Amino acid sequence: MKLVMDNLGFLFTGAYYTLLITIVSMFFGLFIGLFTAIARLKGNRLIAGIARVYVSIIRGTPIIVQIFIIYYGLPDYGIALQPMTAAYISLSINIGAYLSETIRGAILSVDKGQTEAALSLGLTPWQTLRKVVLPQAARTAIPPMGNTFIGMLKETSLVSIVTVTELLRSAQLLIAQYYVAMPFYLAIAVMYWVMSTGFSAILNVIERKLSKAY
Amino acid sequence: MIEVSHLSKSFGSLSVLKDVSLNIRQGEIVVLLGPSGSGKSTLLRCLNGLEQADAGSVRIDSVHIEAAMRAKERKKAVHELRSLTGMVFQSFNLFPHLTVLDNVIMAPMTVKNMPKEQAIDIAEKLLGKVGLAEKRDEYPSRLSGGQQQRVAIARALAMEPKIMLFDEPTSALDPELTGEVLQVMRQLAEEGMTMVVVTHEMKFAQEVANRIVFMSEGIIQEEGAPEYFFAGPKTERARKFLRQMAQEPV
Repeated sequence: MKLVMDNLGFLFTGAYYTLLITIVSMFFGLFIGLFTAIARLKGNRLIAGIARVYVSIIRGTPIIVQIFIIYYGLPDYGIALQPMTAAYISLSINIGAYLSETIRGAILSVDKGQTEAALSLGLTPWQTLRKVVLPQAARTAIPPMGNTFIGMLKETSLVSIVTVTELLRSAQLLIAQYYVAMPFYLAIAVMYWVMSTGFSAILNVIERKLSKAY
Repeated sequence: MIEVSHLSKSFGSLSVLKDVSLNIRQGEIVVLLGPSGSGKSTLLRCLNGLEQADAGSVRIDSVHIEAAMRAKERKKAVHELRSLTGMVFQSFNLFPHLTVLDNVIMAPMTVKNMPKEQAIDIAEKLLGKVGLAEKRDEYPSRLSGGQQQRVAIARALAMEPKIMLFDEPTSALDPELTGEVLQVMRQLAEEGMTMVVVTHEMKFAQEVANRIVFMSEGIIQEEGAPEYFFAGPKTERARKFLRQMAQEPV
């Protein structure tokens, strides 16, 4: 216990990176997801096809393989990325594919009459999407997206393998230094749990606010 | 003002409009009657491009749209058609995430780039006209069906259309709520708005329409002034339809 306390600062730094990677990946993943969802729904055959293949590949391969391809594979072609950059890129691409499915479903769940009403008022299809469909889709998409976010928080532990010193790797470094494992693993387990439940609570507040809006 | 020529439309193997032609003058109030599945709503939806015909053409004012048009030309024509027409739907289709006021000002601000103050001015006048000025800050879910439909009418009017299209505007309403919507429509008619109305409200058709167009099986079976149509329909189909409508406790 004392060992943990002495190294709390180091673990917090790890937790900070875990959070940072989660938030940054979620941010870019959201754009990728939105773009992919719209490409699949509104794009021509080629664009929709590319989007579908992307989603299929990402969902059909282990995330750890994706991380390895980005970090260990790309240097073969002269693209050597910093561990942090590789983590951002691989996780954003991964989360984008999953989010695109959520967003696509949410867009499809908006009643067709909404689109017709907007079009009949003279809005262009793009304006209709932006002003009428997406705001309503967001309401449907936010709860599952929150779950994806919490899932991502835990999946970030995988990037420890490419030497990003996030929470898990911080613990492993300490274990290598002190030759004791349990206290550090327990400590980070608690920290992951606190962060997850913290976000769940925030998510609940957001959901309740959203359901009050109309 | 509206010129529909030889319009045909099929959904798969089901042919819903068969070579339909119809002219409507400015200020005229035309009620489309007919059994369900007769093509009334499809015809109405062809007038603002929500439905694309397989053959034939629609002209409103100077905007011409033809089935044979290329996609790009068609898109432009449809956009212009929609600036001339306003549509009211059976299921209201108010935007649930926007307040009543925002529902009304959204299109003028988005499509016409109207400044917000001006849009609000117009919206308040229109909401007053449909008797819902005090509901401006409510969300649609807080309103009754009749109130929602009146907001939907105000929303369509905010774009200053030359023609109003009504697609069974009272069919989703409880009987005691249809009156308030029909009242607003009567008022519009008196102001000289050109209106095309698909409805099952016989009394409204009788009292407000200038012309009844009776459709069945994708064909205009007969048309005429309401006093003649209701007194003595020429076709057997129309007689049968009127008998059925009279029996139904609407």
